[in-house]
Amino acid sequence: MAWKAEERQGKRKIVMQTYDYAIVGNSAAAINACDAIRSLDREGRLAVFAEEKRRCYSRPLISYLVMGEIGEKGMYYRPSGYYRRWGIDFYPGTAVRKVDAERRLLETSRGERFKWRRLLLATGFRPFIPPVEGLEEARYLTFVSWDDARAMIRLTSRPLRALVMGAGLIGMKAAESLHARGCHVAVVEKMDRVLPLALDETASEMVAARCREAGMEILTGRSVSRVTAGGGYRGRALLDDGAEVDFDLLVVAVGVRPRTELAEEAGLECRGGIVVDEYQRTSQPGVFAAGDVALAFDLVRGEAAVNALWPVAAMQGKYAGLNMAGREVPYPGGNSMNAVEFFGLPVLSAGVVNPPDDSYEVIVRRGENGDYRKAVVRGDLLVGMLMAGKIERAGILTSLIQERANVRRIKNFLLEEGFGHIHFPRSLREERIVEAVAGLARADRERGRG
Amino acid sequence: MPENTGSRIGGQKRRWFELEVDKGGWELKRIIPREEYCIGCRLCEIHCIVQHSKSRDIIKAFKREKRPLKRVEVEERGHVSFALQCRHCDEAPCITACLSGAMHRDAMSGAVVHDPERCVGCWTCILVCPYGAVRPDGAEKKVVGKCDLCPDLEVPACVANCPNEALVLVEE
Repeated sequence: MAWKAEERQGKRKIVMQTYDYAIVGNSAAAINACDAIRSLDREGRLAVFAEEKRRCYSRPLISYLVMGEIGEKGMYYRPSGYYRRWGIDFYPGTAVRKVDAERRLLETSRGERFKWRRLLLATGFRPFIPPVEGLEEARYLTFVSWDDARAMIRLTSRPLRALVMGAGLIGMKAAESLHARGCHVAVVEKMDRVLPLALDETASEMVAARCREAGMEILTGRSVSRVTAGGGYRGRALLDDGAEVDFDLLVVAVGVRPRTELAEEAGLECRGGIVVDEYQRTSQPGVFAAGDVALAFDLVRGEAAVNALWPVAAMQGKYAGLNMAGREVPYPGGNSMNAVEFFGLPVLSAGVVNPPDDSYEVIVRRGENGDYRKAVVRGDLLVGMLMAGKIERAGILTSLIQERANVRRIKNFLLEEGFGHIHFPRSLREERIVEAVAGLARADRERGRG
Repeated sequence: MPENTGSRIGGQKRRWFELEVDKGGWELKRIIPREEYCIGCRLCEIHCIVQHSKSRDIIKAFKREKRPLKRVEVEERGHVSFALQCRHCDEAPCITACLSGAMHRDAMSGAVVHDPERCVGCWTCILVCPYGAVRPDGAEKKVVGKCDLCPDLEVPACVANCPNEALVLVEE
């Protein structure tokens, strides 16, 4: 019998396993692609290759984990039996090293090779490490993975002086987490305010004020020009204004970069992100890309852009999956959007919040309790919105942005307390409510589909 | 070799997740407002609160207990009014956008429901709901609340208690 088994094994080596769908990545885009594929094709062989050893978890929740608001169980995006239940071959701790787009092969870090018929690259991003003198020799944390969160929890078992480089979303979440762990936190940001991309000046100041009140040091308009390692995670940072900051823990969060290496080596067209068409297809037949690595259509900008955001990645993954499984549905387009809360102040924003020139009209409304609202209109289109403090029904504005609806007649009501469908023309209202179609379905129809 | 993770416990498992794009097999109830009959009395809001209260008793719900979130809201302007709650969209933006996986489609009813145990209160669903039908739940700290189509009732409380039949239940 032994020789028979051997022969079988030998045979298996020659006849490589073929997957109808191979997915590189295991986060928002990958899992939503799996969902979409399985909604159309229950039989096709489907594999997920995950660099990390864990099953899919929600990256944006790592700050909640560090702050103790959720436990480890709360991190998982899908139930434990997910892969098995939907017949997905899950390869944890298996990075894909090489993709041959012509011969439709891939090779893993374990040396295994597989054939595929459709491939999805959902490789996400990696933190950008700036070329700061001395940073390479120093020990620091990034704040993008579960391992990062664990390291942060381990290192902050007693209160420390922490320095965070970068006041973007990741930096501010790291700062908030460290603060919750009892650390004294200083945040250094090159731009003149916190969350410069997600928020406008007023909202940035509102958030910064809350953080300062809580005891955080917010050092904007400054950058770290040199880091001197001081043993362990300790060290000293020299700022460009000459100030020196001693720290016990350094977090680098100055931005992220799409992980396009695999795609580039495979000969796919990349321009600071994998270029995809409206079906999430890359320049190579059979290869799709989605999520933080993909340069996909941004419906507010009217051109392709990388929006490294969980909801956008999830949506792209879903459309990639549908198209991989053979249902041709174009991705309706995404837009930048952020939901944050710092020290009890929730702020939601979508689209353009910092208009680049005066062709945009800005409407602002301040409530009695310090609430702040802003709508950005261009021509007859709502292109951006921001709500701070009171955030109820913000999604109505988001949907108007996404539908590219004409808001000329309702412009004056957009920021009113009771703004809603009552302000829409009756026909539009009935269409939206009675036909029970969401904004996206409507957007589809406007493009002559669906 | 592929590893299929997950518990090996057989039998019926807790189903908090169902494929979003996978529809069919259920008859989804939808509540349709009829603005020509709505007089803006807001009884739907009141009965929604009662139905989602601890005691389900109108006096206790309003006077003694922590008042739950209303999951239906009457919009009113001049003579026009109507009540609006979650549409349970076919392509629900809140489900796709949810960071934690808390927002999901109920496998049995097809309704868009959310698991407060898994919700972290990131407000992303509020940011994307085209109807403004998901709200921060003040009663439950840092969690959202929305219409659940009253799973314990044959007819949702807002529909059953509308004096003018300005809310109608349609089964698809």
